[in-house]
Amino acid sequence: MDKKKYERPVILKQQSGLMNKFGSATSTQPMTDIEGVPVAELAAAYGSPLFVLSEKKMRDTQQQCQRIFRSRYPKVQFAWSYKTNYMNAVCSIFHSEGSWAEVVSEFEFDRARHLGVRGEHIIFNGPAKSAAALEKAVRAHSKIHIDHFDELYELIEITTSLGLKADVAIRVNVDVGIYPKWDRFGFNYENGEAREALKRIAASKTLRIVGLHMHIGTYIMSTEPFRVAVSKLVALANWLKQQLAIDLDYIDVGGGLPSHNTLKGQYLQADETLPALEQFADAITAPLFELESHGDAMPTLILESGRALVDGAGYLISTVLAVKRLSDGKRAYVIDAGINLLFTSLWYKHKMVPAQPTGVMREQANIYGPLCMNIDCIQEDASVPALKKGDRVVLMNVGAYTMTQWMQFITFRPAIVLITADGSPHVIRKAESLEYVMSLEEIPPSLRSLSA
Amino acid sequence: MERRTFIDAVIFAYAQIFFSNRRWFGVIVLCASFISPVIGIFGLIGALVSTLLAYGLKYNQERIRSGFYGFNGILFGAAAAYFFQITPLVAAVILVFLVIVFFAAAALEHYLATAFNLPGLSLPFILSLCVFIIFSSNFEWMVHAAPPREVELAFQVPEAMRFYFESLGYIIFQPHFISGMIIAAAILAFSRVLFVNSIIAYALNSLLVHVLYPDPTPAFMIQSSFNAMLVSFALGGSLIIVSKKTTLLVALSTVVSLIFTIFFTGIFAAHSLPVLVLPFNVVTLATIYSLKFRQEHSDLVLLYFLPGSPEENYYYHHNRKLRFDRYRLIFPELPFFGEWTVTQGYDGSLTHRGDWRHALDFVITDNNGNEFAGHGTSPADYFCYNTPVAAPMDGEVVRIVDGLPDAPIDTPDLEHNWGNTIVLSHQYELYSSLSHLKAGSILVKKGDTVRKGQVLARCGSSGRSPAPHLHFQFQLSERVGEKTFAFPISQYLQQDKDGFVLRTFEIPEQGARVRNIEIHNGLRKAFEFRPDESYHFVCTSGAATFEESWSVTIDAYNILSITSSRGTTAYLQVRDKIMMFTGIVGNHDNALYHFYLCALSAPLGFIEQLQWTDSYPVSAAISLPVRFFPEFFLVFVNQLSADAEFCMNKVSNGETQFVISSRQRLRGRGLLRFFNETKEGSLVIRQDGEIEALTVRSNSDTFSAVRKHMEHS
Ligand SMILES: Cc1ncc(COP(=O)(O)O)c(C=O)c1O
Repeated sequence: MDKKKYERPVILKQQSGLMNKFGSATSTQPMTDIEGVPVAELAAAYGSPLFVLSEKKMRDTQQQCQRIFRSRYPKVQFAWSYKTNYMNAVCSIFHSEGSWAEVVSEFEFDRARHLGVRGEHIIFNGPAKSAAALEKAVRAHSKIHIDHFDELYELIEITTSLGLKADVAIRVNVDVGIYPKWDRFGFNYENGEAREALKRIAASKTLRIVGLHMHIGTYIMSTEPFRVAVSKLVALANWLKQQLAIDLDYIDVGGGLPSHNTLKGQYLQADETLPALEQFADAITAPLFELESHGDAMPTLILESGRALVDGAGYLISTVLAVKRLSDGKRAYVIDAGINLLFTSLWYKHKMVPAQPTGVMREQANIYGPLCMNIDCIQEDASVPALKKGDRVVLMNVGAYTMTQWMQFITFRPAIVLITADGSPHVIRKAESLEYVMSLEEIPPSLRSLSA
Repeated sequence: MERRTFIDAVIFAYAQIFFSNRRWFGVIVLCASFISPVIGIFGLIGALVSTLLAYGLKYNQERIRSGFYGFNGILFGAAAAYFFQITPLVAAVILVFLVIVFFAAAALEHYLATAFNLPGLSLPFILSLCVFIIFSSNFEWMVHAAPPREVELAFQVPEAMRFYFESLGYIIFQPHFISGMIIAAAILAFSRVLFVNSIIAYALNSLLVHVLYPDPTPAFMIQSSFNAMLVSFALGGSLIIVSKKTTLLVALSTVVSLIFTIFFTGIFAAHSLPVLVLPFNVVTLATIYSLKFRQEHSDLVLLYFLPGSPEENYYYHHNRKLRFDRYRLIFPELPFFGEWTVTQGYDGSLTHRGDWRHALDFVITDNNGNEFAGHGTSPADYFCYNTPVAAPMDGEVVRIVDGLPDAPIDTPDLEHNWGNTIVLSHQYELYSSLSHLKAGSILVKKGDTVRKGQVLARCGSSGRSPAPHLHFQFQLSERVGEKTFAFPISQYLQQDKDGFVLRTFEIPEQGARVRNIEIHNGLRKAFEFRPDESYHFVCTSGAATFEESWSVTIDAYNILSITSSRGTTAYLQVRDKIMMFTGIVGNHDNALYHFYLCALSAPLGFIEQLQWTDSYPVSAAISLPVRFFPEFFLVFVNQLSADAEFCMNKVSNGETQFVISSRQRLRGRGLLRFFNETKEGSLVIRQDGEIEALTVRSNSDTFSAVRKHMEHS
């Protein structure tokens, strides 16, 4: 018989009444393994902290999304949003599910090409494409989504001097009644700027309008903004058809679908408040049937979802370094993963669960990272069972925007392990080492002989 | 008038006498008609006069070119020179009569074609000749000629063989052994079926004549033989698709032809008129005409397209049956978006029985075959629940049932069998019905017209539905719950282990995972050939390199064709979302023929690993040396087949292009098992729809063609 586990006493504030700002109570089972591989083994083999990704989760989610959208609209194409997570292994998984690539920089563009993505299956977004990058994209027949007039003129110049044609779309920003308004990207719909841009492109000899693009923001929490935005794009497409006799190949509605993370300041768990993916799909697809006279050749619906597809497939294993009490008596933990790895924790309350059995009582605690900086707080007032030094925890829904936005600060960035579809772990990015970090550095000769 | 078409008209006129449409055949007959040169010259004059008249009077160019007008002229000219001594005056009379022959041909042809839908055959010639002979009997200066002298043979020939050849020669008034030999050789080269027919008809006729007459005159032997042989050509493969039954028909009509030969000989002897080919005309026309009134035309099929050789007609007809018999005039597609699985097909084990056998139930599954996520205890757990249901084709909303709630899972509402339902009416009195819809989701109202693919409602689980699914059926009235009517889906893609297989006019079976095809504008542009478009290619065939161009035309009957500068014409059509070639005539050493091989049919849409199969008429894919011997037995069995598998993919060559790879399998069965040839084709199409290049490889050689884009200003 197992020895009964010792449970440290916790002090809880008496709570009563209706809904409170901590949301409904959550009973968290420990997460002792990820896709069948014990967390303890993973940490032992690859160290802590450690990012773990699940191939199965990614594929399941992508297939589910495809099914939901394809059963609502005849032509649907996903384009993997590289910025969300551009680890080669991750991109390869999404490409093998049929996704194109959505990139926003020359760096991402080159990554996609390196993986063998066909030029015209690359959608090139972003407000800051260099001339060199544009030239590459033109040569590769990629779909260039123009962000502003200066870029439009530059692209006309480039294509003219190369003697090549380019397939382009414009990014359109529309007022969908949500804040913040993402009107710094693309051409505005309401003030007629988008139409002006389209007319200018139609008049050029080297650019061919093949699509319209929008991206109304990330982590959109209701369906209405999508319905409004897509309706406006459809109106613009119909205008294109009537005024300029242009049939579009596609309408790209960007990303923005939410993942299962709960935002800071949101009281209820995300799953309880967010509309289902099906509802988003209905809101996005319904207005498309208002497209005029496309007859049997409807334009393709492109989705650049990132977060919604990969967030849930990412886990971060971390270790409790210290258990503390703050001056006001509040419990605090220091763990070995901080804001250097979870930039996203500025917005999200990443769910954190212990990796080994714990007691059932929970208390409010602040979770701090290992950086010697005040901002390094993963979560305030998390509701966690009692933990002790050396315990492992798993932070959930950390697949998106972490492995691309992490920073190397006072320590190394950890390894990333992918549990492949057959259940075996593979390192897809090694932990950094001192040589790696210093390999780009040089010491001027005058400083070389210094010794401390 | 072009010299080339004029020469064609004359040459085809000679070929037509023996139901051939080959230039070389015409040239050979022309040569054979000069064994007695004077007769030959007048035959040729007949051809020239008739053809010139037809041109001058602006008759249909195609008809002229086919040789129809010329062929009666040849017979008349030759016959006149055969029966009469030629003097300048007689020659002048013949010229005048040739004008009569021409008008008789034009009038009779038109009359027979419009009144009875029959070919004119050589009736114009016979009628005019009778007039000519009776006219001549009034004048002494028109002197009967002695039959042409037999050309001496250096060798002995059995009588039966001699009569056979002489009968063949007599058809063009050259009753010489040599003429007959030449013609027989040409027939053998042109068609084994006709050759065998001529032997059967000749042998049977001789037998019968010898039974009836102890000592028949050579004249009667020849007279009855060539009529029997001509009948066997017409009914045994040229005007009727050859089959086992045509052989019986040939035997029977040989008997009848003999009877009529005896009959006409009896009648005409009084007026000293020759019987000539009258029995053949009467028997053939009467047989064809009477066959038209059958209720069913599944055998002894009358030719319903432009004739080729009997072998080509046979292959073409059977190929058409195989490919297009199941085709309909309207194009229903699957009434939803995305991939669905058939949970119950026609004659299903659960509810698709009796009057309701021809129905389809669909659900959405994930890649593991699950229909739902979660517990599956609520309709909303099911993947198909609340997804759009679309119109299968254009139509009008004629019935709507709405307001019935979703039945709880596994407790179907037995009272309202069909649940919420929309019935649409389509062309040709066809109705379709979509059932178990979600209450309140119906977007259309009674009387609305809807277009194919228009969203009508959402999938639900109302009525007799243990779990959300879509029930889809065709029927013949607007009644909800009407008995079902079997009708195929015009085109859909069925998932198999490595891609999607294109199905046309089939009925999805239980367990099949299916989806619609979506049009790709590039592929549509590639395969929707438009009149007056032209294409240029640089071709390499073995060691030779040449340029070739194609032009696209559409004729008065709306038949679209591509004609190559190298003399080949291919016929094609686009039906809804599929392009298909329906035929090809001409030689094979050109890009057009190889394009036909590479894209016998093709969908206008794309999906990765899209596969389909199709079959060529044997004569369009297997060369004559291989076909030659087996075609002696074609009446009994066809042992050759030419099928192809196609697969479309995207390939990167700098820019991404569509590539249709194909494998042509030319195979023999039975005794021809040893014959097995494979070709591999690949057709490259740019994403914007420009046909770029093609290659076809066989064991022995490679043909390739690369598009040459002309500069446009
Ligand atoms: C243009 C564009 N597309 C797609 C995405 C991916 O969005 P998400 O991860 O919210 O799906 C982003 C993210 O910012 C974006 O800027």
